[in-house]
Amino acid sequence: MNSPVQIRLVHQCDILKTLINTYMKSSTKSIFFTLALLCGAYIAQAQTPSDAMMMRQRESCFALTYERGSFDEYWEGKLLRTNETIADVSRTVVMPMVAIGILDKLNFYIAVPYVKTESTEPNGGKLRGAKGFQDLNLALKYEIMNKELGKGKLAVLAAGGFATPITNYLSDYRPYSIGNGTNEWSLRGIVQYKLDMGLYARIAGAHLFRGQTKAERDYYYNNGSYYTPWMDVPSAWEYNGVIGMWFLDNTLKLEASYYSLKSTSGDDIRFYNAAQPTNKVNFDQVGVSVQYYIKPVKGLGVLAYYNQVIEGRNMPKLAAFGFGGTYQFKI
Amino acid sequence: MKKSLRIQFAGLCLVLLAVVSCEHDLPRYAAFSDYDFSGLDENAGSWEPILLSTTDHIEIGAPDDAESDAYQEELDELKSEIENLSSGQRKAAEYWTNNPILRWNEIALELAAKYNLIPGPNPDGTYTLPNPATPDGPPAFPFAHPAYTSRALAYLSVAQYDGLLTAWNYKYSYNRLAPYHYDNTIPSLYAQTSLPAYPSDGAVIAVVSRDILTAMFPLEKDYLAARAEEHLNSLRWSGANVQSDIVAGSYIGTEVTKVTMARAANDGMKKAQCPKPVSDSIKASAFARLGWQWENLEVPVRPVGLAPLFCRVQMWNVPNVEDVRPGPPPAPGSAEFQVAAKELQDIQNNMTEGRRKIANWWQDGLGTYTPPGHWNRFAKEFMIKYRQNPVRSARTFAYMNMAIMDAGIACWDAKYFYHYPRPIQAIPGFKTILGTPNFPSYTSGHSTFSAAASEVLGYVFPAEAEQCEAWALEAAESRIYGGIHWRFDSEVGIQQGKDVASYTLERMQSDGADND
Repeated sequence: MNSPVQIRLVHQCDILKTLINTYMKSSTKSIFFTLALLCGAYIAQAQTPSDAMMMRQRESCFALTYERGSFDEYWEGKLLRTNETIADVSRTVVMPMVAIGILDKLNFYIAVPYVKTESTEPNGGKLRGAKGFQDLNLALKYEIMNKELGKGKLAVLAAGGFATPITNYLSDYRPYSIGNGTNEWSLRGIVQYKLDMGLYARIAGAHLFRGQTKAERDYYYNNGSYYTPWMDVPSAWEYNGVIGMWFLDNTLKLEASYYSLKSTSGDDIRFYNAAQPTNKVNFDQVGVSVQYYIKPVKGLGVLAYYNQVIEGRNMPKLAAFGFGGTYQFKI
Repeated sequence: MKKSLRIQFAGLCLVLLAVVSCEHDLPRYAAFSDYDFSGLDENAGSWEPILLSTTDHIEIGAPDDAESDAYQEELDELKSEIENLSSGQRKAAEYWTNNPILRWNEIALELAAKYNLIPGPNPDGTYTLPNPATPDGPPAFPFAHPAYTSRALAYLSVAQYDGLLTAWNYKYSYNRLAPYHYDNTIPSLYAQTSLPAYPSDGAVIAVVSRDILTAMFPLEKDYLAARAEEHLNSLRWSGANVQSDIVAGSYIGTEVTKVTMARAANDGMKKAQCPKPVSDSIKASAFARLGWQWENLEVPVRPVGLAPLFCRVQMWNVPNVEDVRPGPPPAPGSAEFQVAAKELQDIQNNMTEGRRKIANWWQDGLGTYTPPGHWNRFAKEFMIKYRQNPVRSARTFAYMNMAIMDAGIACWDAKYFYHYPRPIQAIPGFKTILGTPNFPSYTSGHSTFSAAASEVLGYVFPAEAEQCEAWALEAAESRIYGGIHWRFDSEVGIQQGKDVASYTLERMQSDGADND
């Protein structure tokens, strides 16, 4: 049996990792990584512990992750292409996050990513990249149920998130924009079944309610003229499936994931033209991750992951590698 | 606990609803309805047309008398049609308004934005140019870049204007009024007017706009036909015209389009995008003369810049393009050049939100309605504000768009005559927040287009002259902030635009319209 402390630690780190994953996914969601809007939702998703446990009341976890992603192909509508104007675009994300156990069954999360984008040399466009703090991401997650079932445990959770830009970054600067520049609310359901021997499977679904973003021009084309600086950022459905396994007395976790995002509206990137926040962004992504809890150092864990977009629409074919550390403490 | 959670979730849902309901409207066209015209310009039939020799060059016979059986029958048909209007038909008529030239201008800008897509490279690194003989492409024809769009708007506006001058001539020759003057049971959706209804000015606008825009955007033939049909029908649905008004107006539209397109067919535009050997010789000639040359830095390199021979397209009001050619820019490496280069580096290294906003506000780049489109939008908004009637609106558009196109021709002349490098070419490692266009730097297109447009708008709307000039200067400045133009490109471009507009205004001031 896992000790409660171990389990909690694992679970928090897992949360962090998932959070990072989700971040990465979110970043990939728009043609050039408009990641963090989804952050709230991701945080919620990320919290899902492998054993479906929550952080206990008055427990807290600080996490810091670094991610580097890049792509040299993207889907223009459904057409996968290269574009030497932007060549190989990189995106670096550094994200601090804090998770707090408000109640045993209610956890709160806050995260603020810093994002930097640029094209590698040489490129035909000679455009500057962008950098800055992106969105404030808040989330609440509630454990609805967690009970013995057969040779394992079934957990059901729900989460709500909110993300909002905290700097005046320009969303209408694809592929370098660091985010979608709009508020996003998310509602998420999570179900997990974990066998006592350490193997587990989890599915999650969410709806992302996105608002409008303000461009710095008051005319744009979105299958017709729009005489306003405001752009609708399409809302989206999100699906996530995970299979994972614990090893080494619950200190090492390996996980494989599938993630899918489907926008509910939006236009396609036009021929050889820049993307814009109104685009219908869809993608499917697979990923692997590893987490390790350093037993001799109380409260400390490390993680690493790799994700690859495998199919998309108006989306970069992004590959990203990330790593980070977590530290758990009482408050 | 479960209860409190439910409350929290209910609260979240409420906030979500609030957020959704607070979203901004996303207007697709100008929010205006029909309005009382500030005047009817009863003498517009005596103003000087642009291309037609006279306003009775196109002959329109007298209409049936209002008392005649034929006209009475038309009134009966109209009444019955209006009685059975669907809500969709009523909405269509409300959309078109009594100054539909503004709607057609919006349609033109929308098509410019739709077709303002630069051809991308083929897999083997070559580029294929849009070809009017095979408009489907790929790439689709046209590439509605600023020069192309300036020309499309100029021909559209000139044809609308000459058509309306003709219509006004016959309106006040025959004086057959709108249907509701003869039968007060016929409702008018628009403000009632004493402007004679025969021939229909709306029909002139519908037919001219459909046919000129179809010539400029051939793939939109069916779309434009559908829009025009709805517009022509709206002329009856609104109670503004009977069918014979519309037939006469449509005839004017067809005839004036022929005259206009005859000029367009031979104005030199077909040769503007010259082949590589010609482009290379233009570049070599500049290098021999000046010691520098502009290079395209895209990957793969575009073999020819945008429209090197647009400078040879026939101008509207400037006798020779050399008349408005500025002196040479500072030589790269010179002290004056160094000052300009340092300014650009300082701006990019210390980008402020204010400058970024100005650069983006005026970007009007690929996928948009271009700078000429931006100024047409301003013009439209002033026409609504000052309640210009259709013929006044057409005059404003025609002179402004002639000035804009002439400014484009003059600017392109300077661009390829001086073949001046862009900042990304001349400053090692320089990066920008706007994409650098595929043509030489000096002079700035935004600056010349904007100054020319601003001068004409300032003349037509004196109370807005100061605002227009401020806009033009900001548009010019925006290119410096964007990192794609030197300060001297913008400053000389502004002066060049003013020089071009002085020719336009000279003609405009003597066309008879401002003597009324």
